Amino acid sequence: MLNEIFIKPFVDMVEAPDFLMQVLWEGLVSGILYALIALGFVLIYRSSRIFNFAQGIMVVFAALTLVGLHAMGVPAWICVVLTLGVMFVLAVTIERVVLRPLVGQPDIILFMATIGITLFLIGFGEIIFGGENKVMITEQLGIPTDSVLLEPWGGLLILEQKDITAVAVAALLVVALLVFLNKTRMGRAIRALGDDHQAALSVGISLQTIWVLVWFIAGIIALVTGIAWGARAGVSFALEVIAYKALPVLMLGGLESITGAIVGGLMIGMLEKLFEIYWGQPLLGGNTETWFAFVLALIVLLFRPQGLFGERIIERV
Amino acid sequence: MKHVAKLAAAAALGALMGSTALAEGLYTPNLAYRTGPFAATGIPLMNGQADYMAMLNARDGGIGGVMVDFEECETGYSTEKGVECYEKTKGKAIVTQPWSTGITLQVLPKTNVDEIPILAPGYGFSPMADGKVFQWAFNAPLSYWDGASIILKFLQDQGDLSGKKVAFLHLDHPFGKEPLPYLETKAEALGFELLPIPVGLKEMQNQSAQWLQIRRERPDYVIMWGWGAMNAGAITEAVKTKFPMENMLGVWWSGHDADLDIVGEEGKGYKSVSWSFPNPDAPVMADVKQHVIDAGKSQASADELDGVFYSRGLVISAILAEGIHVAQEHFDKAEISPSDLRWGLENLDMSEARLDELGLTGMVPPFSTSCSNHAGHSGGWILEWDGAKFVKASDLIMPDSEAISELELSRAKEYAEANAPWPVNEDCKM
Repeated sequence: MLNEIFIKPFVDMVEAPDFLMQVLWEGLVSGILYALIALGFVLIYRSSRIFNFAQGIMVVFAALTLVGLHAMGVPAWICVVLTLGVMFVLAVTIERVVLRPLVGQPDIILFMATIGITLFLIGFGEIIFGGENKVMITEQLGIPTDSVLLEPWGGLLILEQKDITAVAVAALLVVALLVFLNKTRMGRAIRALGDDHQAALSVGISLQTIWVLVWFIAGIIALVTGIAWGARAGVSFALEVIAYKALPVLMLGGLESITGAIVGGLMIGMLEKLFEIYWGQPLLGGNTETWFAFVLALIVLLFRPQGLFGERIIERV
Repeated sequence: MKHVAKLAAAAALGALMGSTALAEGLYTPNLAYRTGPFAATGIPLMNGQADYMAMLNARDGGIGGVMVDFEECETGYSTEKGVECYEKTKGKAIVTQPWSTGITLQVLPKTNVDEIPILAPGYGFSPMADGKVFQWAFNAPLSYWDGASIILKFLQDQGDLSGKKVAFLHLDHPFGKEPLPYLETKAEALGFELLPIPVGLKEMQNQSAQWLQIRRERPDYVIMWGWGAMNAGAITEAVKTKFPMENMLGVWWSGHDADLDIVGEEGKGYKSVSWSFPNPDAPVMADVKQHVIDAGKSQASADELDGVFYSRGLVISAILAEGIHVAQEHFDKAEISPSDLRWGLENLDMSEARLDELGLTGMVPPFSTSCSNHAGHSGGWILEWDGAKFVKASDLIMPDSEAISELELSRAKEYAEANAPWPVNEDCKM
């Protein structure tokens, strides 16, 4: 047994390095998408202390809007612009109808409100678009769908061009977000709200504007995530489940940390894949991805309750 | 005093309405799942079921002159919600249609007490086929073990399975695990290596780890037991990893046109076992079109009507309607009770001639049930994706009844012993 745990997995990695690279690549693709979803959570949490339970359904709603508009005969890229418009309207509506009346309420009330938003979007989405599985308009958006076959060390490494595109776009979006948050006035305002709510308000930062902005950014993230995941296995309400994979990322990286979301997402994506392939499948019958990330996050929380990159908050009692 | 009078009046009105409701029709609730991760599979099935009953109501004024009260209770394929739906609808129901193996397993003991038949065509717990032990449960026209047996027989026709490796890619859920006992038995008997690969509910759309395992293990065949979003996830990964599609076969819930549309031409050669097949020329289709679709009473979209799942939904309701009809004839009354319906479902004779009479020509294989045989063991066809639709790739293949029956009896006995005291049908002498 000790051999199976401590030696064989590493021997397998060395004996089939092409396969190891494939595992790492698949982990990277999953990881960057987890990171993207986690960023959506973090941005909203930082600016409003709201844990946005609706992030998953926003992914579904954005993807469904995109394919739904295309089914009505609208050209693909116009659909993207219109979908962004819909996500903006959604952000404004959420701020006006749900969040504004709840300003000053305890965090748990705002969290419950996002559960309400989730339930509303599920019902509304099903009425408008139906629950059937739909095909993502991958080719119409110009996303290549072929595979790149490489032969490292005489083996085989399959890289799907749509995965490469997803990784590239997600990485670009992450960089763009970091630049926006660090170099622009609005970005700094979001960070200021995260650092000290009262102080930010006292210097004239508009809570309403920032909330609309962060929910809209979460909508953009949802659209990119929806396109990337939808291109892999179609667009359906099952996509919502994928957002829950971001929860251990947040636990691991810290709920307020943008760096944590990115590093946590990549770590979980790659480690859960490595563990599943080299330990989970041979020793535990597989399907360890369901729990691995949570166990990893739990171990981290035992030593760092605020997560790897979260802020240590000491509250006086 | 005024309040008491009001309450009495309300109670009288309620009693009147209650009795009217009972006389309104044959209440046949369906624990539907049009929402959630499995909705893509559920919607066409539910539409087919509802449309068949709507057609009977419009064309014939119901069954035996009594309208069918076909109501859906949404479960989202969640076992907890399914049990709630069962409890909510059981009061006046003559049948329950649980639509998930998880829900079926939960309501199975309850139906013994409530004495309501479970109709689970082609799903649920396979030993339910043993009608003596599971007197209130029906999985006709065939069980999951029948399905697994048909798949293995088809593979054996392609060549000896001895020494081969067969991956079993399945949803990590009671439904997905259901055929494992049969497959394990047959793996030992036929000498092939069975490699179970579970897919978690959260991993349905991201099965890269499962398909990396398939790439590493290089199985000769992949048998898929998928439902909902798992199907599209698996098929896209199979295409991506260049697994030969002709060596991949799914259960009947993994043969949905919309799942294959995602890969289109690249999915060519993928197969699925099926106990139903769409026949656009069948008389029932014309009746559904005339009385339901054209009348604007259907929720189905136009491109759904020729699909495998819509057609299967029609067949499922036809089985229930036939059970009701048989019971009405036998007991010589139109308003039947759940226990009457149980008799009807135990005495189905869906012969070729009867299927023709019902307008279901070619849409389901002939089968019959009895008090000891609640599955019918109809046999099934292998369907193949031709790049645009499913076509028949085999004649009717019958399951290996001998091996299945042995396993059914032993597992049914085990279940009854584990849940003792479990009432069995002592009157059934077959």
